[in-house]
Amino acid sequence: MLFLTRTLPVLMAFAFGIVGIAIFYIPHTGAQDVERELSLWLRIVSAFAYFLGLFSLLSLHWDKIRQRVAGWGYNLVALTSFGIMFLFVIHNDGVGPFAAQAKEGAYQWMFKYVHVPCSATMFSMLAFFIASAAYRTFRARSADAAILLVAALTLMLGRVPIGAAISETIPSLAEWLMEVPNLAAKRGILLGVSLGAIATSLRIIFGIERSYVGGGDE
Amino acid sequence: MIERLLTIDRRVIFLFVFIGVTIPLLSEFRLPVRPTEHVTAIYDKIELLAQQKDAVVLLSFSYGASTEPEMQPMAMALLRHLFSRNVKVVAISLFPEAPGLAQQALETTAEEFDKKYGDDYAFMPYKPGTYSVIINMGQKFLDAFPKDNWGTQTNEIPLTSNITNLTDFDFVLDLAAGDSIEFWWLPFGQEKYNLDFAAGCTAVMAPDLYPFLQSGQMVGLIGGLVGAAEYEILINHPAGASAGMSAQSVTHVIIIIFILLGNAVYLTTRYKERNSRK
Repeated sequence: MLFLTRTLPVLMAFAFGIVGIAIFYIPHTGAQDVERELSLWLRIVSAFAYFLGLFSLLSLHWDKIRQRVAGWGYNLVALTSFGIMFLFVIHNDGVGPFAAQAKEGAYQWMFKYVHVPCSATMFSMLAFFIASAAYRTFRARSADAAILLVAALTLMLGRVPIGAAISETIPSLAEWLMEVPNLAAKRGILLGVSLGAIATSLRIIFGIERSYVGGGDE
Repeated sequence: MIERLLTIDRRVIFLFVFIGVTIPLLSEFRLPVRPTEHVTAIYDKIELLAQQKDAVVLLSFSYGASTEPEMQPMAMALLRHLFSRNVKVVAISLFPEAPGLAQQALETTAEEFDKKYGDDYAFMPYKPGTYSVIINMGQKFLDAFPKDNWGTQTNEIPLTSNITNLTDFDFVLDLAAGDSIEFWWLPFGQEKYNLDFAAGCTAVMAPDLYPFLQSGQMVGLIGGLVGAAEYEILINHPAGASAGMSAQSVTHVIIIIFILLGNAVYLTTRYKERNSRK
């Protein structure tokens, strides 16, 4: 059993990791065929992640409703909404779930007139909270914070038309901030993150990091 | 008295932001929008493609409903430009919510320019797998999309029948509100297949992508609603994004005033405290 639960996954990670890296750089037809096959497998595995996500979502809400935790009504709304949308998808404007997606119908209507406005509203509310948070916390408490504050204000003005209306210098300054200090910082972060990702991948491929099979990295 | 300003009710700030958004949207107040270098670069690239016979662009919709107000005007402006220059478009969706939004954008703009489905544009369905879909398309387009969004065989659609893989597209554009540009398209599409690639993204994502503009991996970048507004100006079709610019400008000014006010109060209080200690 230990072989199936611990050793085999590590061996598979090693084999697929090495093959996955190698074929990325080999233009030979054989290698490309392997890559094509692997990418298809990967897509199938990804699709199963949706089932996992769905199960997790439904069980989370159902448990909260069953235990009558505070605000369980919202969980009920979430489950009911899921059920309604699911029924509309199955109905698929009368052609059934195995036909291609219908161009119109209840699902499309719900998506267009309920889901999109609700999601967009939720996201747009960020502007209100950002304004409030900025007022309360964005303080020039030190020289560093003051530099950050000036840069933020310049960008906020420079990225909208009113900045150019006030002075031509503001958009130019905002663009310089993006092109020079921002770019340098982002590139550094990106290189650091990428090197970290490579190191972690190598640890997984060579079996040094085994926490994904459970029981911590032994 | 002045200290009370530090603990101002947040609903007061909300009210100011609300007024700052609604009044410019309801009035005819418009501010001039000037296109920037990275947005113009995409426009120029499409203009160049328009001179080429039967140019095909792959337009990847990688955003969901929450970012629709920011991303949809961008998609509409790009599609208007592509269709007005008779450039053919193959649209794909890499986000589960994207097909509904892509369908709206495609149908609206195709109708405006009298474009025919199958000949001038095609619409592929959502496929799970993120970057593996891109690898798949790079190997064989039919593997990734055997059928279009309406169930027609991809190889029976005139526009897609001759497409074998990603390299058959003259230009690839990704409209993203997630990590699809940086972690899917650039390493597994642009870099691997040496594609001409550009992107549109939400305003908060734009700073992350500047290294790729400097390295030449991206032809251009449309960042946020302001980028969409710039594109609308370039194609001489001011629409949703341009209308939103005044509201965004006023809201930014309101937030700046609040930040400055907060700092003024903070510094005054600190100065007073220091003086009282002396």
